[in-house]
Parts: sequence; C-alpha cells; structure tokens
Amino acid sequence: MEGETLDGQPSVLIVDPSEETREVLRTALERRGVRTFLAQGAEPGLKLAQQNHPDLVVLDLELNAGEPEQLAAPFARQSRVEGTSLVMLGTLRRGRGNLPPGEFVPKPYHYGPLIRRIEEILDTGPRDLARSA
Amino acid sequence: MTRRRRATVCDRLGPGRPIAGDSSWGVSAVPSLFVIRGNDQGTRFELEESLFRIGRDSASSIQVHDTEVSRQHAELRRSDEDFAISDLNSSNGTFVNGRRTQRHLLSSGDQIQVGRTLMLYTGPADASEEDLTKTISITSVEPAEEQSHIIHSVKHEESSEIFGGEAEFPQNPWLARARSNLQVMYRTALAVSHTLDIDQLLHRIMELIFEWVEADRGCIMLVDPQSKALQPKVRRTREGVRSDEKISISKTILDYVTERNEGVLTSDAREDERWNPTGSIVKMGVREAICVPLRGRYDVVGAIYIDTHSSPQEIIRKGGTTKFTEDHLKLMIAIAHQAALAVEDTRYYSAMVQAERLAAVGQTVATLSHHIKNILQGIRGGSYLIEMGLADHDETVIDKGWNIVEKNQKKISDMVMDMLTFSKEREPELTQANINDVVGEVVELMQVRCGELEIDLQWRPADDMPDMVFDPDGLHRAVLNVVTNAVEAIGETEQPGKIDVQSKYLTEKTLVQIVVIDDGPGIPTDQLAQLFSPFASSKKSRGTGLGLPVSQKILNEHGGRITVASAPGRGSRFTLEVPVTLPKSTSQTTAHADTEP
Repeated sequence: MEGETLDGQPSVLIVDPSEETREVLRTALERRGVRTFLAQGAEPGLKLAQQNHPDLVVLDLELNAGEPEQLAAPFARQSRVEGTSLVMLGTLRRGRGNLPPGEFVPKPYHYGPLIRRIEEILDTGPRDLARSA
Repeated sequence: MTRRRRATVCDRLGPGRPIAGDSSWGVSAVPSLFVIRGNDQGTRFELEESLFRIGRDSASSIQVHDTEVSRQHAELRRSDEDFAISDLNSSNGTFVNGRRTQRHLLSSGDQIQVGRTLMLYTGPADASEEDLTKTISITSVEPAEEQSHIIHSVKHEESSEIFGGEAEFPQNPWLARARSNLQVMYRTALAVSHTLDIDQLLHRIMELIFEWVEADRGCIMLVDPQSKALQPKVRRTREGVRSDEKISISKTILDYVTERNEGVLTSDAREDERWNPTGSIVKMGVREAICVPLRGRYDVVGAIYIDTHSSPQEIIRKGGTTKFTEDHLKLMIAIAHQAALAVEDTRYYSAMVQAERLAAVGQTVATLSHHIKNILQGIRGGSYLIEMGLADHDETVIDKGWNIVEKNQKKISDMVMDMLTFSKEREPELTQANINDVVGEVVELMQVRCGELEIDLQWRPADDMPDMVFDPDGLHRAVLNVVTNAVEAIGETEQPGKIDVQSKYLTEKTLVQIVVIDDGPGIPTDQLAQLFSPFASSKKSRGTGLGLPVSQKILNEHGGRITVASAPGRGSRFTLEVPVTLPKSTSQTTAHADTEP
C-alpha cells in the first residue's frame, strides 16, 4: 500500500496487481498534478478508498483468482456512496447480473488514451456512467 | 506459497462452471456434462446448482456455441441426485442416446444431443457405496483350518479350450453346434477387446464370420456420423469367388434392417418356383443373404451383410437344403451387437481423446495469451514513460521506462526458454561445475527483486560441495524457477518475507540437495498434487504456469527429483535432489573431505 497526500489536488486511487502499471500511472498522473494512492490488492484498495476519498478509482479486474464481478461490486458500492468515478481495466462477462456503473477499458490498453480519459473525467466528471465495454 | 486453481478456457467461470482441460472425466462427486462433439468440444460443465438452461443465448447457464441449438433449447433440473432433461420446444429437438425426447431422467453415461453438439452426462459418485475392505480382506497368513492349496490352474490363453473337444459329444449335434456358437461368441469378444482401431476391428469380425459360416461375399457398412449415410468399410470374398464382382445390396433391405433394427435372412428364390425344374433357380442358382444391424448401446452404427450363392448342381445335389439358417441369423445378430458396442466404444474413446486434446490446447493458448498480454501491457507502459521522458527531457522518467521495458524483455525471454525446455525432449548438457556457483548466481540474480519486495534472501552453501558433472544451465533454470516461485508467492502477500536457500552434500547417499524455504502463504493441501502440472498456476498476473513443471523436468533429466512440503499460512520448503556424478579425473583425489585418503 502506497500513497501521498497533498491537499487541494484531484486524486486517483490505482488498484492494480502489476507494480509496473501502478508505477506508470503514478508517474504520468503525478506529472499532471494528480495525487495518487496505490494498492496491489482489493482489500487494501478498498481501505484506501474509504480513508482518502479519491475522485476516481482505477481498478484492474484481474486482481484475484476470483470472479471479477465479485471484485468490482464493493468498489462500485463505494463509488456510489462517495459519488466517485470508477474506471475498470479488463472486461466483465455479459449476462452475469448488473454491470457496475463506470467505464471499462479492455486489455491490453494504451496508456496515452487511458491517462487522457482519466484527466477528462477528473476535469468534467463522468460522461456516461452506464457505458460498458 | 502459491494458491492454485484449475485454469479455464472460458475466461470466466459461470454458474454452469465450464471447465476445460480437466482430465478427471471419471467419477466425480459433482454431476457434469462433457462436450464430446461440437464447437465446445472439450468443455465440461459441472452441475452444482439445481437448474440449468442449455441454449445458444449468452444468458444460458450452459451456453452452447451451435447455430442449430435454439436460444433456449432445453432445461436440466435436479431430481434427487441425478438430473432430468426437458426440451423447451426447441426447433431441432433434444435427443438422449439417439432418441428424441421431451423429458428424460438422465443416468450416468447418457449422451445428450442438441443441434450438432453431443454431450456426455456423468452422474454423481455413489456416496453410499459400501466399503468392501471391511468385509473382504487379503491375508498373508490363513488360519490353519482354512488353509487352501491350488489343485489346478489354467493359463489365460488356454481358457478357450473349454469350447474344444468335439469328440466328447459325437452323438449330440445340437450340443456340438451350441458349443461351436459359444466359441464364435468367445472369439468375437476377444477380437473386439483387442483393438482401438475401427477398421482393424471390422476386418477381424469379417474374418471370424468367414471362418464360421460358408459365405461367398461379405461386407460391413458403417453409418457416417456426418452424412448419416451407410458407407462400406470392409469387403471380403471367399477364396475361389471372383473378388472384382460388385456386391449389390438392396436399399430396401438395408433400410429395413437399420430402421427396424432387425436382422434378415433373404433368398432370391421364389417359394413357388423353388423346386420347379423350369424355374430360374435351376438355371441361375440361389443367392441367400444375411443382413444384420450393428446395433450398439445408443444407436445403429451400421450393418453387416453376407451372402452365398448355390449353383443349380449344388441345389440338386443337396436336395434343396439352404446354406443359411435362422441359427446363423441369430448368431450374426449377436456378433453384430458385440461389434457395434466396440465401434461405439472406440468412437467414444477417440472423441474423448480429441476433446481432451482440444481442451489442453485451448488451455495452453489461453494461459500463454494471458501471460503475453501482461508482458505487452508492461512494454506499453515502459514505452509510454520513455516517450513522456523524451518529450519532457526527463532522464529519470526515461530510465524508469527503460527498466520496465527491460524487465518485460526478460520475462518474454524466460517464457520462451521455459517453453523450449518443457516441450523438447533433450539430453542435459553435462559438464564439470560446482553447484554452489550455479545456485549462488541465481541468488545474486534475485537479490534486486527481493530488495524491491522487502524479502530477505539468504544463501547458505555447503562448505564441502565437490565439483560435479551436471548441466549447469539446466540446473540454473530449475533453481531460478523455484526461487522465483517463492519470491512471487511472498510478493503476493504484500508483506516482507524471508527466503532461505541452502545446498547440502549428503555423502552417504551421494546426493546433493538444494533447499528453498520461504515464509510465504503456503500451498493448500488440495493443490499440492497439481503443483508440477503445466498451467496449474494460481498466480494470475505473473507466472506462465510452466516454471515448476520445467524445474521438475530438468531434475528428472538428471535422475533427480523435486519434493515439496508446505504448511498453509506458514510457508513452503522445496527440495531439489541431484544424484552426484563426480568428474572422472577428480573423483579419486579431491572429491570430498570425508572421502579423501
């Protein structure tokens, strides 16, 4: 679990098992003046979300060996409660219940468009929360 | 250490739990459907819930990728331990064991066909099965009063002699015939049990028939599974009969035999003219034929046809006795049934092997794709940072990006090496080296990674380790994979940890041990058995699932082995054992302190 706090900045929580992905997103976002919180797993990720109330959560759906639907559910609840945006990396299978509100970025993705979209959401708020992959 | 789960071809496990590549298609506690033909061949659906819907629709709990299957085709509903299948007014129907059905209570071994997809149902294992070991025991010491001794023994190959010795019943032709029939059936059973090649099997059956009945010509036809048309597979003619003569079989008779599932005995002689000297028989002779269905457990898989021709002279000489009798027909039906069962079994076995093979290929491709996708993602991340660093003239970011690219380059190189080692039959490249150097290199290589993850990696080499003859590159990879596995297992816990690597020289056993002990999460007992199977890895984002199997293969090549002991929650201990081969030039002089003169 890693993270920094600098008041008055937009903030993003990155929950991703890959140290490289966390590092790339952190470097890119911090250069754009975004505060980042990093977590490798779902549980510490949720804890960070509850403690720091980030404006946006980037969640890798292949975090655990379990079902991605089950993984996304508590983050979706947290996002609804906090009114924050959720960007999920990977896809959920259709027909497996309600899709959590948020955006899906299928893998493998390019970092440029992902960073731009994160900035866009941070600037203007989510455009269409119900959009799915 | 690592948590493991069964990998899946389908990317998500749904309620129907499609599982591919699972070779345990024997008895399981959970009922299952295994697709043995169709686009989903090799997929197993474990039926853990009470209700399943089979259909093309993606919302179906058992989704079948088959355009001839209706969106909502059939339903499986639990009925006690087993399941009942009901057709949901599908366009093309639901078939169980080849018969169209509205509702059918399934039992183990039933074949369900929807569209072009054929599935095998396996019911639950019988939990109430009596433990016979309690009532039957095999003892080495018998009580004195019950002592038995062997008074006669028969070798397996002598067992058919029970049907021999016709001289014992010279006066009883019925008994002699019955015994001859039994012998034919016995030999048929032997013939069908000895082969898994259908063509070979049919040839044997035909030979057997010709040995036993006075047929001139014969052929066996099988129903083509795709076109459903009968196709000739074996043809045989008796010696002295023209073999180029075309066998014409009446379609009416074949249809009668296969559709009504009855054997027939035919003759081209008309009753009214049979004994009329002016009739065609006397001019042309009589052709008699027997045609029987190859009826198996599920369906008619084909037909056997034999015929014989009696010349006018023969008919006059024998006084009109026919060659083929009802007894022949009955025995032919019995032979055909045996043959059909064997054909079905062979086809079923081939379909199973093919399905398992496809499942394994699918699983391999899925696992490798996943791993390659992660590497690609890493390279994209590194490149993105390099691009960003170049644009901002920031060397720190460029460095960071370059490190990520290099790490991923190493990952792909490791993966290719593992794949090559695993797939190729190879001889270890034996040379003289010291195993401490090899393990020391691995430890040094892993120190940076361990530092990043706050893992304390300790190395305790044996002081008395001699130079040995082994494959240093191979063992380097074997040890590297085991240490990497330990590092990744601890890394997943996001906690600091400790790995202890030791080498030991066991002189009394002429064995070297390399021991890797970690204080990671340990391996659940039920996953230990799968630990060295390829692609059984539970490490979703890291391993290729080939690391430990490759280590095991390398150790086996050296005549050694890997063992593992693990306590979930406390850690694991991997022990790599390599038999010692001392170099010839040094074995007598410098091998080991204890052995030195």
